[in-house]
Amino acid sequence: MRVLFFAHLKDVTGCEEIVWSEVGPLTGAQIWQRLARQWPAMDALRPATRLARNCEFVEVEALFQPEDEVALIPPVSGG
Amino acid sequence: MTPTLRSTDAEALARGASAGVDAMPADQPMHIRLQLIHEPIRLEDRLAVWRSEGLQGALVEFTGVVRGEEDGRRIVALEYEAYERMALKVMRAALHQLGQHHPCSAVEVIHRLGIVPVGEAAIWVGVASRHRQEALALLTGFMEALKRDVPVWKRRALSAGSVGNPAR
Repeated sequence: MRVLFFAHLKDVTGCEEIVWSEVGPLTGAQIWQRLARQWPAMDALRPATRLARNCEFVEVEALFQPEDEVALIPPVSGG
Repeated sequence: MTPTLRSTDAEALARGASAGVDAMPADQPMHIRLQLIHEPIRLEDRLAVWRSEGLQGALVEFTGVVRGEEDGRRIVALEYEAYERMALKVMRAALHQLGQHHPCSAVEVIHRLGIVPVGEAAIWVGVASRHRQEALALLTGFMEALKRDVPVWKRRALSAGSVGNPAR
C-alpha cells in the first residue's frame, strides 16, 4: 500500500511517500492509527486532512486494498 | 512525487483540439481542456487559440495573479504543488457537474505549479458559452470547487533572497 503526503504533511513525515509492503486491507481509521504510531504529530492534523483512495476522496470508514494508492489531502489552496 | 514538466488531460486535448467552440449543437458535451504546467502561463496566446477555434458568443476569462503580500508579509513568489493526477480528475469531475447546471460549450483551465513570482499568473480559466450568464456561473462554481476540493497547495511563500534556494 502506497501512502502519499503533500504540502506541510511532508514536513511532518520527512518524505513524500511510504510503502507498506506486507499489509492486508485497512480502513482509513487503521491507516491513521499506523501513521500516528510512526509520526505522533500526524494525529493533530487528522481533523483537517481528508483521505483519497486512487485519486478519489473517501470517508475514514472506507476500506483500502494493498494495491491502492492512499493520499492524505490537507486543506487545499490552489488558484 | 517526481514533478513532470506538464500534466494535461489527454482525453480532453484529443477531443477539444480543433472544434469550433460555439459551433457545437447545444446537446454536445462541453469541451474541457486542463493543464498543470511548470512554466509561465502565456496569457497572450490563449485568446488567439480560442479565436482560431471559431469562438463566438461569450468568453469569460479569469486570471489569478500572485499578490506581493501573504499573511501580512511582503513576498516575492509563491510555490505551488499538486497531486497532479487527482487534481486533473477532480477538476474534470467538477466541471462536468457544473456543466449540467450551466451549459457551456468549452472550458480551459491552466494552473501553474512550482515557483510563481509576484505579478505572474498562477491560474487562467476561460469559459465559452452562447451567453454570458452560463459562463459566469460556471466560472464562479469552478473557482469555489478549486478552493475546496482540488489538491493544489501554496506550498510556501518566498521572501526576497529565498527564491533561489527555497528551504525544503
